[in-house]
Amino acid sequence: MTKNNASKQARLNSFRELGIVAAFFLILAVLVILSPNSFARPTNLINILKQASINGILATGMMFVIISGGIDLSVGSTVALAGVIAATYAHPGEYPLVVPIALSMLVGLAAGIANGLIVAFGNIPPFIVSLGSMTIIRGLALIASNGQPVFNVTKAFENIAGGFVLQYIPHLVIFFLSVTAISAFVLTRTVFGRRVYAVGGNEATAKVSGINVNMIKIGVYSISGFLAGLAGLLLASRIVSGNPTAGQSYELDAIAAAVIGGVSMTGGAGKWYGTVIGALIIAVIGNGLDILNVSSHFQLIIKGTIIIVAVLLDVKGKGNQ
Amino acid sequence: MNTKKLLSLTIVSLMLIALLASCGGSSANKPYAFFISHQTNAFTNELTTAITTKAAELGVEVTVYDAEKDPAKQVSQIETAVNQGIAGIVIEPVSVDGVVPALEAAKAAGIPVVVVNQRISKAEAADCFVGVENVDGGKLEMLTAAEDIGGSGNVAFLLGPLGSDAQIGRTDGYYEVLKDYPDISVAFEQTANWVTEEALALVENWLQTGTDLKAIVANNDGMALGALKAVEDAKLLDQIKIYGLDATPDALAAVADGRLTATISQNTTVQGTTAMDTVVKLAKGEKVDPEILVDFVLITKDNVNDFLQ
Repeated sequence: MTKNNASKQARLNSFRELGIVAAFFLILAVLVILSPNSFARPTNLINILKQASINGILATGMMFVIISGGIDLSVGSTVALAGVIAATYAHPGEYPLVVPIALSMLVGLAAGIANGLIVAFGNIPPFIVSLGSMTIIRGLALIASNGQPVFNVTKAFENIAGGFVLQYIPHLVIFFLSVTAISAFVLTRTVFGRRVYAVGGNEATAKVSGINVNMIKIGVYSISGFLAGLAGLLLASRIVSGNPTAGQSYELDAIAAAVIGGVSMTGGAGKWYGTVIGALIIAVIGNGLDILNVSSHFQLIIKGTIIIVAVLLDVKGKGNQ
Repeated sequence: MNTKKLLSLTIVSLMLIALLASCGGSSANKPYAFFISHQTNAFTNELTTAITTKAAELGVEVTVYDAEKDPAKQVSQIETAVNQGIAGIVIEPVSVDGVVPALEAAKAAGIPVVVVNQRISKAEAADCFVGVENVDGGKLEMLTAAEDIGGSGNVAFLLGPLGSDAQIGRTDGYYEVLKDYPDISVAFEQTANWVTEEALALVENWLQTGTDLKAIVANNDGMALGALKAVEDAKLLDQIKIYGLDATPDALAAVADGRLTATISQNTTVQGTTAMDTVVKLAKGEKVDPEILVDFVLITKDNVNDFLQ
């Protein structure tokens, strides 16, 4: 391929993501018009970023898995388990803050490695593996917490997600931005990132060209699990308790964010910034409709419609090229 | 040796042993069965503990069946238990309609049935209902809030899953009280599905509108605690009072700290012990009222110490 052709291809690729960015600004514009005094205030825009953060972090992990051609349904349960474990070790006067932080992320990482090993070596479809682990991990969260919310945590623990940088920027947003930046780097600037695309694009070809497909698979599920552990820690800090029933259907919101952002469910394609926009769209809709006091029944319909329309626009946009 | 043969042989012998064991057990005292909708929150755990403790106190055996929120599973559990032979049923139903045929079959087989906490759609299918009137809890909660804010101003309601028994009853109670307080208006009313983090995000969004809220009244404590976090984050706790219902341990702690204004106890332990007591009475052939109502209790900073364990 000549240099000219390559840059043309790159331009076309970035053009494909434009549809969803345009849709995002369209939704923003509509909400600004409908609610100029509440929705468009700077404090609310920060609030939206904050509310997008946990789903955004999960969606980033999900993006790695989906691009590699897999799916991880267990992240919602992992959020609950990590949150319960974090809160259990965050009671005042018991352990230093580093213990709940490290444990929650280790729990997530362990869940991810387990998923990855079974997907890679068990030759079982990822949907089935993570469906099973979703149920197992939910059970572990209920056992670890005796089926009750774990409360009474330290101020420092609450501050992990609840604090602010420079008075106005919530820690949650900083976590979200950091995870996004690191993921963007890994996905676009490292050999591992390129191999994730290669495995999702065509596993057989990737194998033939010498890529250790199993290692890549274990890698992406580990990332997803680790980020779910982080999300669990942040959620527990945010609601000041570890709740074994928390995070239900979070995996679906994460998948929705990735898919709205143009990540292909068949693997091999997707951009990090698409996923960020996807997470933002979900948060913006929820926030805007709450502010407009729209009944939650209608919110469900509107959210579902936007998911389908966003993907439809994306597919149409790609088809035209 | 053929592993399949070995496996089937093992299974058959295990089944035989199980069969023999169950035959041996049924001749003596039959156990009671407690069917619970799920065991994933403080309420259901407290109810289960109350029932098993009371059973031990009465010297009877009780088996707990967890339906994991699945109506079909609860029906199968009832059928299986009835087939095995039980002395009586206490049930906290998953579904108000779904369990009726199974309970009617149990009653027809001469097994006494006590429904606890959540009513079924056909009261005659059970011998007795032990529980609370959700509307009374809602009334007590709203009345407390209305008095606290001086009978005027904006309030917001956090509702349970729309259409659930508790959500409907408790919310009806709110509106019944509001008839006497024309100066209180409901600025927001939305479901957060009993979930803390949903309530947190919802109240964060409401507060963005700048509406001058005086109180947030939640259908349960989990949502009240989410509201509390949002209000605290916005540094508005001196202006907005928050009310919950259920008296969960974390809500009681928040009441004791003076952060949550009040919660309401539906006397879960009393419901459980009364239900167990009643089913044993029925099994002995005693007569009981078809409906035994337990009172709600208001818990504020003044009396919270009586409820903290």
